[in-house]
Amino acid sequence: MQEIERYRKRAIAQHWWIVVCSILLAITGMFLFLSWFGPAAWWGYSRLVHRIAAVGFVAIPVLYALMNPKGTWAWIKEAFSWGKDDLGWLQSAPTYYFGSDAVPMPPQDRSNTGQKLWMLVVIITGIIFVISGALMWFFKGIVGPGVFQWAVFAHDVAFITAGAMLLVHVILGSVHPRFSEALRSMITGKVTAHYAQSHHGKWYDRIKGGKKA
Amino acid sequence: MAEKAIMYDATKCTACRGCQVACKQWNELEGETTTNWGSYENPKDLSTQTWLKMEFREVGNNGDLRWLFTRRSCMHCTDAACVKVCPTGALFYHPLGFVSYDKGKCSGCGYCKEFCPYNVPRLNTNRGSGLGRMDKCTACTSFGLDRIDNGYTPACVKTCPTGALIYGDRSDLLAKGQARVQQIIAQGYKNAYLYGDKEVGGTHVLYVLEDSPSVYGVVENPKVPGAAIAWQDVIKPLGYVAVGLVGIGLLLNVMVARARMINGKGEK
Amino acid sequence: MTNHWNDIQNSDYILVIAGNPAENHPAAYGHITAAVDKGAKLIVVDPRFTRSAAKAHIYCPIRSGTDVAFIGGIVKYIISDIEANPGNYNMTYITEYTNASYLVNPNYKGAPDLDGLFSGYNAEKRSYDRSAATSSWTYQLDENGVPKRDKTLQDPNCVFQILKEHYARYTPEMVNTVSGAPKEKFLEVAKTFAESGAAGKSGTLMYAMGATQHTNGSQIIRTYAIMQLLLANIGVAGGGIQAMRGESNVQGSTDMALLSHLLPGYLLVPQHNDETLQKYIDRATPKSSDPLSLNWWKNTDKYMVSLLKAWWGDAATKDNDFGFHYSPKVHAGTNYTHIALFEAMEKGDIKGLMCWGQNPAVGSPNANQTRNALANLDWLVCVDLWETETSIFWKRPGADPTGINTEVFLLPAVGSFEKEGSVTNSGRWMQWRYKCADSPGDAKADLDIMNELMAKIRDLYLKDGAAPNRDAIVNLTWYYGTHADPRQVAKEVNGYYLTGDKQGKQVISFASLMNDGSTASGNWLYCGSYVEPADEPTAPIPGNRASRRNLDDSPYNIQLYSKWAWCWPVNRRIIYNRASVDLNGEPFDKEHPVIWWKNAAWTGDVPDGGGKPMAEGGHLPFIMRSTGLAQLFGGVVGPRETSLADGPLPEHYEPWESPLAANPMSGTMNDPVIKIWRPLEQSLPDKYPIAATTYRVVEHWQAGQMTRNLPWLVEAMPNMFVELSEELAAEKGIANADEVIIENKRGSIKAVALVTKRFKPFQMNGKTVHQIGMTWHWGYAGLSTGDSANILTPSVGDPNTTIPEYKAFLCNIRKA
Repeated sequence: MQEIERYRKRAIAQHWWIVVCSILLAITGMFLFLSWFGPAAWWGYSRLVHRIAAVGFVAIPVLYALMNPKGTWAWIKEAFSWGKDDLGWLQSAPTYYFGSDAVPMPPQDRSNTGQKLWMLVVIITGIIFVISGALMWFFKGIVGPGVFQWAVFAHDVAFITAGAMLLVHVILGSVHPRFSEALRSMITGKVTAHYAQSHHGKWYDRIKGGKKA
Repeated sequence: MAEKAIMYDATKCTACRGCQVACKQWNELEGETTTNWGSYENPKDLSTQTWLKMEFREVGNNGDLRWLFTRRSCMHCTDAACVKVCPTGALFYHPLGFVSYDKGKCSGCGYCKEFCPYNVPRLNTNRGSGLGRMDKCTACTSFGLDRIDNGYTPACVKTCPTGALIYGDRSDLLAKGQARVQQIIAQGYKNAYLYGDKEVGGTHVLYVLEDSPSVYGVVENPKVPGAAIAWQDVIKPLGYVAVGLVGIGLLLNVMVARARMINGKGEK
Repeated sequence: MTNHWNDIQNSDYILVIAGNPAENHPAAYGHITAAVDKGAKLIVVDPRFTRSAAKAHIYCPIRSGTDVAFIGGIVKYIISDIEANPGNYNMTYITEYTNASYLVNPNYKGAPDLDGLFSGYNAEKRSYDRSAATSSWTYQLDENGVPKRDKTLQDPNCVFQILKEHYARYTPEMVNTVSGAPKEKFLEVAKTFAESGAAGKSGTLMYAMGATQHTNGSQIIRTYAIMQLLLANIGVAGGGIQAMRGESNVQGSTDMALLSHLLPGYLLVPQHNDETLQKYIDRATPKSSDPLSLNWWKNTDKYMVSLLKAWWGDAATKDNDFGFHYSPKVHAGTNYTHIALFEAMEKGDIKGLMCWGQNPAVGSPNANQTRNALANLDWLVCVDLWETETSIFWKRPGADPTGINTEVFLLPAVGSFEKEGSVTNSGRWMQWRYKCADSPGDAKADLDIMNELMAKIRDLYLKDGAAPNRDAIVNLTWYYGTHADPRQVAKEVNGYYLTGDKQGKQVISFASLMNDGSTASGNWLYCGSYVEPADEPTAPIPGNRASRRNLDDSPYNIQLYSKWAWCWPVNRRIIYNRASVDLNGEPFDKEHPVIWWKNAAWTGDVPDGGGKPMAEGGHLPFIMRSTGLAQLFGGVVGPRETSLADGPLPEHYEPWESPLAANPMSGTMNDPVIKIWRPLEQSLPDKYPIAATTYRVVEHWQAGQMTRNLPWLVEAMPNMFVELSEELAAEKGIANADEVIIENKRGSIKAVALVTKRFKPFQMNGKTVHQIGMTWHWGYAGLSTGDSANILTPSVGDPNTTIPEYKAFLCNIRKA
């Protein structure tokens, strides 16, 4: 079966790097949410881990962006490119996701609407995480207690949002029957042509067309 | 158990600072390196090694000069912002009403310090690693150094020579404090005030002041910060609900989708 | 103290002057708080708005060293008020218990007549004629030798009229001109405190070193006494004059002959021309021809002989004047006080010095002189808990150790909680305390150090048959073995019978002491403190009354706590208490009765002297004066009662170093009889216009060796500092917390500037005088070091006591 390259090695590496960082950040941040998670604070070493992970979380995408500014820019642009098909996708998504083909899905580009939504969440909460995190880390005692307090609040709102969406992302990408090739693609970088065509029609047509040209 | 409290009568205090030193002695806190900064006051601020300090204020001038002394330490609020925001449960309400903590559970996040309306808790945080531990007055209920549980009064109260610090049932102290304030008002101090009766749900350190709290540098109308309420009482429950709903939704979704698609309706 | 700490709680008016109890007596201050709680009015008079002032109802500033002018002004106010409103005062007290009615020698002339001097002044010798035979400061006597009295107080020669004339010059305007006290504040203080003069009202005066450490310190205290007597405040509950002692046992050490002119129990020290014991007793025993006067000091011979017996036991016999000649004798006319000793050291007249818990390198006036003087010693022994400035004077900053030949020994002493013994507090309470911790290393109790030293010295004297005054050493009653038991020493201090069926038993009161060698007592005042167990069986240490801890306050519940510890004399809690009752023995203040004649017996406190009320033929109330009356006028009476060196009435003189060009009161600038060692070191106002004083802070103690080594206290008060007004700071361009230099003729020191509203320039009838104040705790040893304020203080002292004038001197200040 014909396979199509969906992710480059660099992108895959970055993805998993961020996965690791995020998991660490989530776990070490979790006790702030669930007091019975308190022992996980390990006498505060969790906070050290949180900070190390935060550095990774910020540093690698920045490094990536520096090494591949075009691709990064394209990725950001993609997250913000919304059209008529996206509306249609959102209308049809519920039936589609419950495994029914009763409603036709509008063809999608390289990232479908849901994925773009996820990208937006990543970008926006990421920025909130970084700014509020930096405030708490580096500017404690410099900024007023009010700023700090609302930074904590913002960090947590971001965590709830990102956490909920992450759940969606993980489930859909791993065990949801609709996206049987998603996980594999993030490991090997490849998807089958059939999968590409059915899930990312526009993209498939574009790259097929491109190949032909 | 009846709630207990410490009452500090500023009108009887001579700022001898016996309390400040007794606190260090009992709680095994170190003497800090200080320099005279043009004041009788030192150390300049609270720290993990200074849980209680006396403040000095020169108010007025010439004929109406007053030298006011204020105790600065944990107020042991009934609605304690520090307890509210403490993520690990290190800070807790002692059965007698004091705000105590289990240092072993402290993660050093410092939210207690930042959210305290009195800016009392202190951390010895390493700026790089972020590691550290919070400390503050426990009204001598610290584990291993518990005077209260052993039938003694807090070290500061025990050492006070003028009766400016007394310890007892909070309700008794409130009555005494009100009577004292009336007495001071009768002497011509019309702004005399019993601080801590209502503030932040009622504090377990009460102040008898001959003037408004602000004259003494004491926070007027202290509040649990809005961010703490928005975060702990609104966002956090909402977050549980949201994440819960998403999780349940996803579970249902995957189950239904799998059931349908394995039946061959969907694509492979 | 005439009264005691707890008694402050009975006061209606409390005047704190020349002291800062909230700062320096923080624990005892609780009694003042309690009094104020009960409605007492608290008045604080001080150059600076102190911690005590912060708690006062009335605060009035005065320039350092002007207490006589200030209190003299109150005396004037009271005298005028007595004449206008006698009903507001206790006239019985004034006429019957004080010498207001005495007629003074018509030849007496006072300061109003003699431009600040008194009759009998010898300018060449700088002294007054105080001989009973020739002095004019005497009283007119009747045919029986008893002073004549005019109880109407109208005779122009009577003390009351002389007092009135003397203080007539002390007007509120003059008080302001001299002291800088604002007129209205002064009058408020005078009016308020004078209210305590009503019968049944009490006012107490509390003072400390701010009064004594002046060239007229003794006279300052006399002014307090005159005021309190006019207000009938001596001897009553809540009244009196309270000397707040600066150390826990300073009262005890004074009782035990800390001072160079006294033996234990305030017996005079023998001097070179006391050729016989009888001559000494004649000189030391006041005489009275008044049958109503008890003249308690007439017992001097009994106390002296018992003391000699305590010291030399069997070797003290009637034939050898009870060992009187073993006792060292001072040379009459030679000064043996602190300044004089260090002057003698500098000259090389004194070869060795034992510094026992003392740190003169920080605590002495003119500290640079002191440090230099130490270098002229052959040997120096310091006994202390820490290395002190004195013990390391030879390696102090700027010193060249190679040029100093003094051999220095530092003996480690134990702390107060590491030994047993007694402490006598300001209120004369002898309280026993126990050892509660072992001492570290080789540290030893003072008593043990003394004991070992004495054993060694005695060995040396025993070996050397030709040693000078050998018998005095080898015959000494000194049998403590290797460890001196404080209880045994306390028993010796109390005294015991040497003969008869009570031989070896403890005496129960000084009334039992005899002049025939049958009793021994180390200090007659402490008789009754440590009796036979059968006489005090319930004390924690049976017989040791200082160990009593009974809180019974019967019968009158005025905080006497007569069964708590023990108090000299004979457990009398309030001395001169016979003055608290009227002639019939009824208390003036029935709410706070000290004693009360009921059913032909005294109830309450131990009355002065016993006997009956005066109306029934009882004796006069002030039993320690040969006249039996309190002295408004301190005239020359006879042996031991030769007035103060500088006059029978206190007169204002400027401190030796005064910011003023002249004394506004008179042409006599300084106290005319003070001894001046270093006239060239006088700082004058042209170069050094700023008045200065020294004081302590609650965080540190004395010369600092006890506190500057404790991190918690060093943290709380880390540096030497000087306090100055915002006005002076602005004039000198000094900002708060700047490092500044304070200098005068004796040296210069650095300190942190504490610019404060609590010092204000004095406005003295148009003239502005700045005053600054500094702590004197610092030195070059210990955890916290800094310059010593005493580098600046002068080597000049009171003519009666030679206490140095630490509290008023001149300097200048500038930014470092």
